[in-house]
Amino acid sequence: MTDLRDTVLTHALQAEGTFGPGKAPAGIKRIPKGVDGLATEHLVVNIGPQHPSTHGVLRLVAELDGEEVVNVEVAVGYLHRGIEKLGEHRRYHQLGTLMDRGDYVSGIHCELAAALATEQLLDVEVPPKAQWLRSLMGEINRIASHMVWFGTFGLDIGAMGQFLYAMREREALVDVLESVTGQRMMFNYVRPGGVLDDITPDAEQKLRTFMRTIDAYIDEHHALLGGNEIFQKRVRGVGIIDRDTALSFALTGANLRASGIPYDVRRDKPYSAYGELDFDVPLGATGDAWDRYLVRMEEMRQAARMIGQCIDGLPEGDVMAKVPKVLRPPAGEVYACVESPRGEVGVHLVSDGSDTPYRFHYRAPSLFAMQVLEEIIPGNLLADAIMLVGSVDIVLGEIDR
Amino acid sequence: MLPDTTVVKTVLAGVTQAEVSTSSLGVVVHVPHDDAAATLSALKASDLGFVMLVDLLGTDTGEDVEITYHLRSFSRDEELFVKCALSYDGVLRSVWNVYASALLPERETAELFGLTLAGHPNPARLLTTDGEGPLLRRSVPIRTLEEVRDR
Repeated sequence: MTDLRDTVLTHALQAEGTFGPGKAPAGIKRIPKGVDGLATEHLVVNIGPQHPSTHGVLRLVAELDGEEVVNVEVAVGYLHRGIEKLGEHRRYHQLGTLMDRGDYVSGIHCELAAALATEQLLDVEVPPKAQWLRSLMGEINRIASHMVWFGTFGLDIGAMGQFLYAMREREALVDVLESVTGQRMMFNYVRPGGVLDDITPDAEQKLRTFMRTIDAYIDEHHALLGGNEIFQKRVRGVGIIDRDTALSFALTGANLRASGIPYDVRRDKPYSAYGELDFDVPLGATGDAWDRYLVRMEEMRQAARMIGQCIDGLPEGDVMAKVPKVLRPPAGEVYACVESPRGEVGVHLVSDGSDTPYRFHYRAPSLFAMQVLEEIIPGNLLADAIMLVGSVDIVLGEIDR
Repeated sequence: MLPDTTVVKTVLAGVTQAEVSTSSLGVVVHVPHDDAAATLSALKASDLGFVMLVDLLGTDTGEDVEITYHLRSFSRDEELFVKCALSYDGVLRSVWNVYASALLPERETAELFGLTLAGHPNPARLLTTDGEGPLLRRSVPIRTLEEVRDR
């Protein structure tokens, strides 16, 4: 039986005039790479915005040379709701609601940034119990958020099972958050002056039960995904972000620490109860995707440590300071930041003395993490481009705002 | 941590006419916008070591658009805010050569405050569709869903 491929190839080569009749070497099976006279061109591929591996609605315009990406451009704006503009027409209490819809995977941290900025303007003293509850809920939210990253990062690489296991852990934590805040995602729990409510005995019980197994679960996840040879070959040495690149692109959070820069807002500018908590700041060595993976896995273990310290050390007292129903901070300008699972979430508030902010700006860590993709993806294979988008852990809700 | 204002003044002495003050935000340096890039490179290269542009934002003050550059130094654990005023029809000159992190925030700021972006490798709109006005200016009202639909 004739091999159809040979027929077609021979014909194509003859048509180009490279190998005329009688010139073709005997037994040619495939087109040798780089044969003169064969036209090749770069192919522009739109990845997304509706694509499961874009973590929301990110569009990557990738220019391909075969399987290799030679240039990539990120296109965003599909989720733009004008949170900053809306914030200028809302009262200070309502900023948390808007921030929740920024980085919807780690709502507690975003609310906290807005609350901290408002408190700075108002100069309010937050009760110790509220401070500890903020840290406790923040760290629960951090593991829940990292579990989403862990699951989807596995999906990006082709490890389908990880997502299901990661959701098992996330579900237990989201249950706790639901019993305390009443919501599974848009919590609206952290308010200027304190938090909504105390932790319920039921939630505390659930949390203590869960904490007995979390370390073993994280080790199991790491063994299953990180211990996989295929996974390691995909991520080790790929997408290296060196120290200078990380600094000039203003990376924060795990992405910055994976490049070896020891900066963590929780340790360097302590807020809430972090000044009294004992935790380590994991660092990477080379800044490749494998380091970013390892730093986030270790962050989950550290978060679990902090949750343990928070439940045991939770002080007694009020969860809310006495603040007026309508906040009218004095005129001024402040910047407050927190360490969210994605990096430094900052809120820049300008007050003119009225009951609405004059200017409300949300510093989104994902925006800066996304910029670096244009730097690290070119030169890699298309499949690795998908992996690299997963490795910097972006949430499109806060990029577009 | 707040940087020493006299050190900041010394660094910027030969570069631009800088006005250094301390406010609720921290140490703020006011410079003319034409000197913004030179100011930032001087601060980055100096011993102060402001190696990161954490954030870039615009504010509509009612008379002009105020651009704020938020800088951070890791070696000294200090933060600094550089501000410059730009008229409503002004040209925002890109500082991406100094700090690559300015690339997208500059596009966003220019788009949402109706400024022209100059010296930028890709000055296209980032968030909104063509024809949308400068949404973050105070003079642009927020519209209800019905008003947007009727447009």
